[in-house]
Amino acid sequence: MQTILDTLAIFFLISGLFFMLAGAIGVVRLPDCYHRLHAASKCSTLGLLGLVLAAMLHIGTLAVVTKGSAVILFAFVATPVGSHLLAKAAHRDKAPKWHGTLSDELAEDIAKADTDKQGETRSKKKRKTRAA
Amino acid sequence: MIDALHTLSLDAGALLASGGHGHSAESAAPAANAAAPMLAIVLQIGVGVLVFGILLCLWRMIRGPHLADRVLAGDTMAMLVAGLVIVLAIQMNSAMYYDAALVVSILGFASTVAFAQYIGAKHKHAPDPEPTPGVEGGH
Repeated sequence: MQTILDTLAIFFLISGLFFMLAGAIGVVRLPDCYHRLHAASKCSTLGLLGLVLAAMLHIGTLAVVTKGSAVILFAFVATPVGSHLLAKAAHRDKAPKWHGTLSDELAEDIAKADTDKQGETRSKKKRKTRAA
Repeated sequence: MIDALHTLSLDAGALLASGGHGHSAESAAPAANAAAPMLAIVLQIGVGVLVFGILLCLWRMIRGPHLADRVLAGDTMAMLVAGLVIVLAIQMNSAMYYDAALVVSILGFASTVAFAQYIGAKHKHAPDPEPTPGVEGGH
């Protein structure tokens, strides 16, 4: 039984270590802040999942399984939220994009919302002047 | 003869002890976990891999052209440190290190959110670079 659990633990450990190494290499090698954010968040989450699953399988007591589930749950909720916040902040700060970037839909949406707001304020002004 | 009996009784005692708490890998009989040496080798390699990843993230943190690059390198480094703590927990076969992993991941998330607020708020109170004529700031 312990042999089976340890074999499964080795499998999850190797997959988790692969994701961790891929994330770290992606953080160094990718050309852009947003590309790096993609590599960092995705691979850190999956790597931590693999390592915690390996630890849960190897040790296997109730305390370890509970704490490991808490770590996995927290990582899977917190990491996408944090990377989304960071990407939005970098976009607002106008972080430099890769030269091969094809489209920037957030900037288009912001520009569109700004023009809509300007139109609204203009129509409100017209209404105010008419009322006056 | 007496020595042989002594070792036999010691073996029996070890077997009984391993039956007493069956999850600890060191005290189990060698036939029961054939994957243990392989696991030890993978854990040794894993410590090296995670330290190499931490060094890569440190390089990006020093080098990063934008502040967001440094912050995301720090976030990834926190996750790598949490993974290193978990690998050490497997190696030591102890449950106490899990709190450290949870605390490190929570601190990494909190620092990422705080730095994201800082990066995003740098331009919030600054005036627009090209104020459009005829429109007051409505918000």
